[in-house]
Amino acid sequence: MRDVAIIGCGMTKFGRLEGKGLMELLVEASLKAIDDGGAGDRDFDAVYVANFAAGELTHQTGIASSLVDQLSLLPAAADRVENGPASGGSAIKNGFLAVASGAHDLVLVVGGEKMTHVDTDIITDIVATLSQPETEYVHGVTLPSLVAMFTRLYMQHHGVTERHLAMVAVKNHANALKNPYAHLQKAVTIEGVMNSVMIADPLRLYHCCPISDGGASVVLCPADEAKNYSDAPVRIAGFGQATDTHAVHERENPTVLKAVQLASKRAFEMAKLMPGDINVAELHDAFVILEIAQSEDAGFFRKGEGAKALEEGKTALDGELPINPSGGLKARGHPIGATGVAQVVELVWQLRGESGKRQVKGAEHAYCCNFGGFGNNVVAHILERM
Amino acid sequence: MQELMVGFKCKGCSMLHYPRHARCLRCKGTVFEEVELGDECKLLTYTKLYALPEGIEMTPLLLGIVEFPNGVRALGQLKGDDIKVGMRLRPIWGKIRKLGEKDIYGFRFEPFYSPQ
Ligand SMILES: [Zn+2]
Repeated sequence: MRDVAIIGCGMTKFGRLEGKGLMELLVEASLKAIDDGGAGDRDFDAVYVANFAAGELTHQTGIASSLVDQLSLLPAAADRVENGPASGGSAIKNGFLAVASGAHDLVLVVGGEKMTHVDTDIITDIVATLSQPETEYVHGVTLPSLVAMFTRLYMQHHGVTERHLAMVAVKNHANALKNPYAHLQKAVTIEGVMNSVMIADPLRLYHCCPISDGGASVVLCPADEAKNYSDAPVRIAGFGQATDTHAVHERENPTVLKAVQLASKRAFEMAKLMPGDINVAELHDAFVILEIAQSEDAGFFRKGEGAKALEEGKTALDGELPINPSGGLKARGHPIGATGVAQVVELVWQLRGESGKRQVKGAEHAYCCNFGGFGNNVVAHILERM
Repeated sequence: MQELMVGFKCKGCSMLHYPRHARCLRCKGTVFEEVELGDECKLLTYTKLYALPEGIEMTPLLLGIVEFPNGVRALGQLKGDDIKVGMRLRPIWGKIRKLGEKDIYGFRFEPFYSPQ
């Protein structure tokens, strides 16, 4: 396999982007990445479009074919990649494999979702269809209800308190204030989070990410050609992907995110790195408990010690392992198909030293975790400065 | 007559599943027999859901994950006011919601009272 580099990246602002449709978001993010990669005049071999639910949300299908036409990248190969909330991670992985294998030389990966024009109830239902149909969905399960039951177990077994949950939100909102692309640009307080409205006991409104519109994109090429395009390419040092049982209740230990453990282990093995080598991480905090649980199952902290690390400031912007400097899904926002790509975009900026006020000093190795379904399909990537 | 919940026991390796899978999660066997899960289970975790899906009449919606003595777990709606992790519950068949125009039936779990 060849080494693969990210030579360009870009994203739209995340938020309630009125007047912008899905295709406009995908185009805007793509053009930013292509320009950033100095590949404006180049033909691409393939385009991977990460998207969760264009058919259901925007009544458009075949969006990858539509996008290559818009971008004048015909006759490039074009595919939509759907892996629920981990669509972005999966699309990056597909692009990586296509270049690593030698099948393609220049590949565009773009993720996007247009959501805010649709009623929250309908979105909740579309997302709920990720759950197991006969033993979860039919009983009235929504993603927040699964997360709530997970949160209750986690609090019971792993020393997580309401205060810890609030601390994740406070940290990530504070980081987002330093990220001009973030959806939620306001600080929150511990008390504000702890008193926010109950969605699914013990899950409160401010434990959850917002519904957002947005797009994000990267350009990939063989690492040995990267310097022809970019002064500061970033290598994809490793990826890992793993799946777990569809029904959450079938998992051996319901507080262990086994797919996060396996995906991370595989990514670290491929990169020949250890969790302790990572300088900055983007985790999939669609719900705040997930940041704590993933920080443990990815291998950064021992099981049950994630909350303590958070409390000690280890995961803060100036801590030993800053987590979600972008604001995470919690505050940067979560346009579902865009999220996994946006995590990588943030890490590329961090590794290039272009993250402004949220820059993690001297970052050389970065990790991200994109979490599909309720942890039944997880993609992890490790990036490094070249 | 009260029906009982059933799980699916692999003929090859005896692993119990709920729900059914096309192939056994342990040995990839494809032949299963239905086994009754019993009339008593224990609550592992639960939530009170305030943001309700359509067709659900219970406000808030109580959802929980239970474990049967044979180790099989299941998710379902809960009945009762004083819900606590660890409490004994039993599965009861009945209408659980409407989906579109259709009434959906299934098992929900309610507090288990020992016969006096
Ligand atoms: Zn078997």
